[in-house]
Amino acid sequence: MTTLSDLEAQAVRNRPAFGEHAHILCDNLVRIFKTEGVEVVALQGLDLLIEKGELIAIVGASGSGKSTLLNVLSGLDVPTAGLARVAGMDLLSMTSRDRLRYRRSVVGFIWQQTGRNLLPYLTGQENVLLPMRLAGNKRDARRRADELLELLGVADCATRRPGELSGGQQQRIAIAVALANEPEVILADEPTGELDSDTSEEVFGALRRANRELGVTAVIVTHDPLVSEQVDRTVGIRDGRTSSETLRRTSEDGDVIAEEYAVLDRVGRLQLPRDFMNALEMERRVRLELERDHIGVWPSAPGEENNE
Amino acid sequence: MNAWQLVRVHRGAAAVLALLALTASLLVAGLPRGFEAAYDDALAAMVDEVVAPQTDLAVRLRPNSPEDELHDRSEFAALDRLWRDALPPLLSSAVVPGGTGHQSAKTHGTPVSGVLGRPTPLQRYVDLAWASNVGEKVRYVEGREPGAPRTLATVPGNPDLKNVPLFEIGLVREAADAMRLPVGTTVLLGNSYTIAAEVVGLFEAIDPSDRFWEHNPEVKRVTVRWLPEADEPDLMAVGLIPDAGLRELNSRRELYYSWVLGIDGSPINARNATPMIQDIVDFRQVVEQQGERNDSGIAQIPAASFELTTGLDPLLEGFLTQLRTAQTLMFLMLGGLAVVALGVIALAVQLLAERMRAGLGLARARGGSLGQITRAGTGATALIVVPAALAGYAASYLVPGPITPIVHLSPAILAVTTVAFAAVRLAFAHRKPLHDSRNDVVAPKPSPRRIAFELLVIVLALGGAYLLRTRGLATDVAELGADPFLLLVPAALTLAAALITLRCYPLPLRLIVRLANRRRGAVPFLGLTLAARSRGVTSLPVLILLPALAVSVFGALVSGAIFETQRTATWQTVGAPARVERAAEIPADVIAKVRALPGVTSVLPVAKGTVQVATGAQMATVLAMDLAAYRDLVAGSPLVVPDPPVGDGIPVLVSANFAPYASFEIGWHTRMKLTNVGSIEKLPGLAFESSNLIVMPYEGPKIAGLRTYTNILLIGGDVDQALLERTVGLSDAVVETFDSAHARIAEAPLAGTIIASFTIATVALAGYALIAVVIALVIGAADRARALSFLRTLGLSQRQARLLTVLEVAPLIVLTSLAGLALGMLLPAALGPSLDLSAYAGIAVTEFPLTFTTPILLAAGLAAVSILGAFGHASTGRRVTTALRVGEST
Repeated sequence: MTTLSDLEAQAVRNRPAFGEHAHILCDNLVRIFKTEGVEVVALQGLDLLIEKGELIAIVGASGSGKSTLLNVLSGLDVPTAGLARVAGMDLLSMTSRDRLRYRRSVVGFIWQQTGRNLLPYLTGQENVLLPMRLAGNKRDARRRADELLELLGVADCATRRPGELSGGQQQRIAIAVALANEPEVILADEPTGELDSDTSEEVFGALRRANRELGVTAVIVTHDPLVSEQVDRTVGIRDGRTSSETLRRTSEDGDVIAEEYAVLDRVGRLQLPRDFMNALEMERRVRLELERDHIGVWPSAPGEENNE
Repeated sequence: MNAWQLVRVHRGAAAVLALLALTASLLVAGLPRGFEAAYDDALAAMVDEVVAPQTDLAVRLRPNSPEDELHDRSEFAALDRLWRDALPPLLSSAVVPGGTGHQSAKTHGTPVSGVLGRPTPLQRYVDLAWASNVGEKVRYVEGREPGAPRTLATVPGNPDLKNVPLFEIGLVREAADAMRLPVGTTVLLGNSYTIAAEVVGLFEAIDPSDRFWEHNPEVKRVTVRWLPEADEPDLMAVGLIPDAGLRELNSRRELYYSWVLGIDGSPINARNATPMIQDIVDFRQVVEQQGERNDSGIAQIPAASFELTTGLDPLLEGFLTQLRTAQTLMFLMLGGLAVVALGVIALAVQLLAERMRAGLGLARARGGSLGQITRAGTGATALIVVPAALAGYAASYLVPGPITPIVHLSPAILAVTTVAFAAVRLAFAHRKPLHDSRNDVVAPKPSPRRIAFELLVIVLALGGAYLLRTRGLATDVAELGADPFLLLVPAALTLAAALITLRCYPLPLRLIVRLANRRRGAVPFLGLTLAARSRGVTSLPVLILLPALAVSVFGALVSGAIFETQRTATWQTVGAPARVERAAEIPADVIAKVRALPGVTSVLPVAKGTVQVATGAQMATVLAMDLAAYRDLVAGSPLVVPDPPVGDGIPVLVSANFAPYASFEIGWHTRMKLTNVGSIEKLPGLAFESSNLIVMPYEGPKIAGLRTYTNILLIGGDVDQALLERTVGLSDAVVETFDSAHARIAEAPLAGTIIASFTIATVALAGYALIAVVIALVIGAADRARALSFLRTLGLSQRQARLLTVLEVAPLIVLTSLAGLALGMLLPAALGPSLDLSAYAGIAVTEFPLTFTTPILLAAGLAAVSILGAFGHASTGRRVTTALRVGEST
């Protein structure tokens, strides 16, 4: 006899789970920093799906939770609740040993400050070798380091120390360092934040080359329009939640067409863009009407307000 | 991560750490060696100071029956070998063949009962003595060496005496002259079992300073003994007899055999003194049990009661008592020094860790495991500390002194502790990658658990100090050594004081901040506010400065207490700046000559005697002196002089035993009647505390109808001892000046060591305090630079920036110095009853005089040195030239 739970299981089995095939999955992710009763809720139920090999940018005002998200994804921070999975590894249930392995071989990380990415007393090549040595990958390490430096166009910087390099060169070596252990994902926090536009172009180019040639999924947190306008997808974060997504596609006549979407979460929540709400003075509640192919949203009528 | 690379990159911090480890290792390994050497010197001085019989072992036997008697040199030699074989191993190493060692047989108290051909003299004694090596010690200057004894068939004038043994004896010339016993005189000795002795030769000592004579002083001189109520003294001499004389020497006389085993002091040291005492006790047991053993023991003399006489074990016991107090003080000082040194090293490790943090943090985020990161950082620390500690340890071999386990252990402990501290610190700092990633979260307040723990420490420390003060030590220091409690309490008190300082120092600062707020200058307000509110200044400088000052102040107080008590003891010994004392009267012309000496400001004549009091069979010490003049003489000294007695007749002050009598008589030169007008307990310097003391005016005997007498001169002013001795010119007068007596008391072994080592410790601690402040500032330099560059944007000048740095640390330094000062002053009060300093001061150290000058100077000096260090750091450090620009965060 079939029980109710069997039926439930069957129903779930037939439907693909949320983001089952995604390379990076965040479902209702929450991160709260708490001391002495004071809480800072950095992530408030964030949802995010990223496919394998994608190159996406994450944008948002400062304090919106971008860096926290990146720290969670890089395994440097542990979320308070929710689900976070990268390359099939659950970031919430990892032991510290798993986390170490994860940082060594699944993700690579690039910080904004060029100085912070590299050890000032090691040469470019030694810096690239460092993660491989930490992970114990000694075989072919030097060859791989040289290949990466070659790929990113900084082969001539191999024997020089960071102090002798320009900011762009340092950041490109930092990308090589992040790629050293053949990670599946690289995460970059404002990688062009300290650079001028020409150098930013070089660094972003290097990131895109890594993404295309090595098939690495790349997540870039950025304020730089140069970066956010050149990726296939830009995810906006507001108040610790994903609020919008901008998709870009090339039209038949070669123009890049960008379309901005609001994000609808699994329970049907939607963040309306703030300027839309301001324009129509929407506050507290709106009236929805289901049409044949869309949903209409109206501000509540003045009379309705008064009924309260 | 390569540890060596880390060292190379951070070579500045590494050099500081290495230097600190080296000096600390040198101090903790070298100072104990120096101390041990000082202990040994003190012991050697004590052993050298006393006469040979005090240190040598002497086995003595009083033969009671013919069975016990020994009649041949070889029997003495055989027993000597037996004793030497029976010595326990350690004691045996200190017993030297030859030296002062010898065997002897001596009679005691043998009266001269007649002289052939002359009237019998009274009160004359001639004893017979044989010593195994006396032949090498004397030279016959008249007559010949004595030969074998003969028998005197009849004695002229004594028809009762028949077949009397006749010994041939040699006398020291001085005795022969004093007792009128020239060569050829035959004396009869003993009132019963009379024997005869013929003086056949006169000798003198080849080397009078030979230590052999310390065992046999009576042989080389005539002994003069005055008995009470006697008109003439007893004269006693000793006649030497040859080996053959032993045949006729028997137990009918009061005869003593002795086997002297000469001790060489050099194998005895502070470390083997305790087993040495045990060996002496064991050997004494072996010696004393000889006669009781069924098989007669090794001596094969049944029923003989041998005994061992030596002053070595009490001497060593006395030394050990002094040593333990010295060791306790050294432990306190060395412990304080070690704690401070470790604290400064911990600060240097922190500096290094801070410098390595960025690199190690990056490696951690890039996939370095905690183990890898900790290993790399700890390895770097070990690469710095271990060779430095080894170098310090090697350098400590330049310090002369014996090597004790602590010499090896302390550098090792130092190195291990440092490396372990580095490991723990690194592990904690890098436990989580990106530990410092968020700045927008409030800093945690101290947990209630921690506050409860701190309160517990404070309560325990205060309780421990209270217990130590009320009950003293549980153990007898002389028997069991230093009480660990004594060492724990100061440590706990220091920790408690540090905790209180750390928690409470912002409170007084806030008051000052309020005052500074009212003034116009922004820098004092900013600096003090920063000091009161910032968490930037680490607690380690407090933990370093506080014990540094506490140990220094404690040392100063102990040294001061020893010095003061030595002065008091000297005053109590001499009673005046100089003093001449004689049993007989001091002639008036001598008094006049002394009065005329340059530097002498006053001479106070005193008569002192022991008298019979008519109230019963009581004896009393009587002093006739002008108390008012004496009071003027010793003004400014610790001596207290009562008011002079005033009244009719001969007014006197008396002590307890005579207090009930309104008047009584004494026999002093004549019978005199005294009137009791007051009480006196003691007169330090002239009479110790006793119940039988009488003090009368100097004119007392004159009032009684005689004249004044003088046998003590109390001299005021500044006079040289040698000059005074020459001026007095009386061989039987004891001349002593304050300076010579003080020098003798201050020379007490170990006292110099204690004072010198506290001085070394104070200097070292001041150096550490300076380094601690500078390192603490360097550690916080990055944060400070950030704050200063922000303030520069607001218009802070270069000078103001420097002042701000100094003001930021100065309050903590000053408050910690005050806390350290208070703790240092409190320590003697807490430990006082448990520290027996009397061995160094000559008399009991009853209280620690709270001299404020030295401690306050120390505190002020240490604070000034530390603040100067801060100022130096602020002036020579990197100039804060950059104002913060828009867009820059750091």
